[in-house]
Amino acid sequence: MKTKMFLTLTLFLACGLALFVSADNHEEEEKNVLVFPKAYKAKSVSNGGKINGIVKFEGEAPEMKKLEITKDQATCGKTDKFDEALVVGEDNALKNTIVYLMDITQGKDFDAKAKKPEIDQKNCKFTPHVQIVPVKVRLTMLNGDNVTHNVNIADININKQQTRMIKRLRINAMPKPQGPFEVKCDIHGWMRAWVAFVPHPYFAVTNEKGEFSLENVPAGTYKLGYWHETLGNNNKEPVTVEVTAGGEVKQDFTLKMKK
Amino acid sequence: MRITMLTFTSLLILACVVPHPSYAQETPEGSLIGKQIYDKSCAHCHGLEGRGDGSAAENLLPRPRDFTRGLYKIRSTESGQLPTDKDLFDIITVGMPGTSMPEWETSLDVKEREEVVKYIKTFYSGFQENENPPREISLDDKIPYSQESVEIGKDLYVELGCVECHGKLGRGDGTSAPTLVDAWDFKTWPANLTENWNFRGGSDSEDIFKRFIGGIAGSPMPAFQGDTFYHFGLTAEQSEQYATLEKKVEDGEELTTEEEERAAQYFEINDTAATAALDWAEGLEMSPETLKIYNDAMKVVYEKSWHLANYVKSLSPEKRPDFAIGKHVLRSQYLQGELPALTDETWNTLDYSYYPLIGQIVVEPRQFNPSIDAVNVKSFYNDTEVAFLFSWDDKTHNTSEEENEETGKTYEDAIAIQFPVKPRKGPTDPKPYFIFGGRKPVYLWQWKASAPDTLTELTAKGINNVEEQEVQGDFAVESDYTDGRYMLWVKRSLKTDDKKDLQLDVATFVPIAFSVWDGGNGDIDTKRVISSWYSFVLEPLPSTRRFIYPPLVALLSFGLLVGLRRIVQRRNS
Repeated sequence: MKTKMFLTLTLFLACGLALFVSADNHEEEEKNVLVFPKAYKAKSVSNGGKINGIVKFEGEAPEMKKLEITKDQATCGKTDKFDEALVVGEDNALKNTIVYLMDITQGKDFDAKAKKPEIDQKNCKFTPHVQIVPVKVRLTMLNGDNVTHNVNIADININKQQTRMIKRLRINAMPKPQGPFEVKCDIHGWMRAWVAFVPHPYFAVTNEKGEFSLENVPAGTYKLGYWHETLGNNNKEPVTVEVTAGGEVKQDFTLKMKK
Repeated sequence: MRITMLTFTSLLILACVVPHPSYAQETPEGSLIGKQIYDKSCAHCHGLEGRGDGSAAENLLPRPRDFTRGLYKIRSTESGQLPTDKDLFDIITVGMPGTSMPEWETSLDVKEREEVVKYIKTFYSGFQENENPPREISLDDKIPYSQESVEIGKDLYVELGCVECHGKLGRGDGTSAPTLVDAWDFKTWPANLTENWNFRGGSDSEDIFKRFIGGIAGSPMPAFQGDTFYHFGLTAEQSEQYATLEKKVEDGEELTTEEEERAAQYFEINDTAATAALDWAEGLEMSPETLKIYNDAMKVVYEKSWHLANYVKSLSPEKRPDFAIGKHVLRSQYLQGELPALTDETWNTLDYSYYPLIGQIVVEPRQFNPSIDAVNVKSFYNDTEVAFLFSWDDKTHNTSEEENEETGKTYEDAIAIQFPVKPRKGPTDPKPYFIFGGRKPVYLWQWKASAPDTLTELTAKGINNVEEQEVQGDFAVESDYTDGRYMLWVKRSLKTDDKKDLQLDVATFVPIAFSVWDGGNGDIDTKRVISSWYSFVLEPLPSTRRFIYPPLVALLSFGLLVGLRRIVQRRNS
């Protein structure tokens, strides 16, 4: 009888473990997803608070890999290019991290500049490397190079050729928040960027100094999230911040390489 | 107690066996049959959950499709749209040339294929979420194939940047070809447009046109949307004028007020049309006026796309060449005097004989993803020598100077031309084993891209039993790699002093076979493409005896008849 009990128990445990493992795998695959509120309402915000801070990289930053320029040397080879999957500056400052509010449901509207997002392809390099695009807004791709580029965002099934004749090319607006997604130029295989389609303006991308700033946040308690293309996100353990009217909250992050 | 315990245990076992709930597919009515067929016939490559990760997937290139992202290459629908049920049905029915996707017409009946379509659609939620049917590409204004249309298409091929990946002559050797990856970051190659029998979605102008307008989702091939065309929305005349004005600005010249106004006008027309194209692509509601602007502007895009489709069609022969057997066997032609060199135009008087190649999958390491379609051969001979011209398409030029970062090996383009060591005693005499011989040895000419003007002679008694051998007769070798095509020219004496060498006699069929290595495709050692045995012959000159024997026979017959008549006459009298 006891043996049977034991067997059953073992089976039960094994089963649970199997379920646990498979569930874990499933989450792993959705790692590159930002957390968006179900709905967002834009309104005027007065005397909002501010959240700012610095994102740093923990440990010794690996040397940036120099990219091999395989074609169109005259245009693309003018400047050295590096793999921007992990850009660590002075004092371990981490560039290109998205810091954002996960659960804000009402607040300010996008400003005029945010409503005209652009990615330049000058010298065969996407600038900026991470671009925030409001939902229902069209991203503009600039091509001042005298070469042909193409804009491939496979996750949203967009692949448009942008010859040297097409100086400005717009990308379909997305009706729903999603991303970040990788942007590729297949003609110049080294070109990479990321684009996130977001429902509210409380998204910031860290600069060379690792700084970010979210301004004019209505007073309240929010979950603060980050996302980095190589170092992952904190979807599972967001930081809670309390913003007071006219106040300033400082919140730094330290990200490290996943094991 | 015992019974409850047992029930409990069996329930638990059941719980373990039943798949994890998040993976269990909601199967719409009827597709349970589809699932059964899929699990049995498709899952090996496409994976049980449709992720393109079946057990065989790793060895395949292109990879089997991952159905969970809704990216379908071969569609009759516009860019960004899902395929129609018919698109999926057709692909299952006819398969995909040049890939591991076979046709299922012979093994699944219509109903079964329809059920599989239903089941495949459950892997991607977009099929259920989309209320509107996918928008199909109109083929109504087709421009029929003509030389004029081909010429227009040729210019567009350059203007639209096709050349970047597909190469100057369309052999898939563009400068971007080596770095292309698909949406899953797997290596992918641009199509060789001169071999349309390998086009995944068919080789007709209509098929090609659909690939342009719809794009090839998940691949680096872009879709032709309105705003991706220069001066979209402008008439040819307006475009020309606008281009002049743009040029002026570019050159730093100042525009007159009138010119500035005109430029602004053209900009506006272009911008309005481009905006309409985006409205259309996003599926927004459009006013009749905007819709008209869009449709009018798209006429030009469709027109251009038909011309380009006709041009692409013109790059391939009308059908895949016949294999070099039967009446297509390679017949070396007799020439008096010096044999033509590599670049000699005399070669143009001959047609190529076509030797198709397949991946070597008998011995490890194997090549499951062959990248070279065939070797084409021409030949001339004279009283003492024979010259061959071998030609094959290769998208990349790899010499042994380049060491692979990951494996540390050098992958090099090469070819080996294979003959039996001993001449055959007759048509029933078995040939040596076709892959580098076996008990019966083979004699090989091996050429490598790193030594473009030399041949190494080898004898082999098996793929891993190869020896260099001393030089036979006089060899001359020249080679060339231009625009994705190798040309190798080899000249040798017909006879050598050593009786063990390959001796070539007129009118004797000699077995010939090929191995080709494409370094850019990871070919090395046994990993390569091969042919089976074919043969070639030094075509004998039409004999001069035809002027002697037939008249002689005629004369004799006549004499015989006359004689017979005499005998008969004599008997009668």
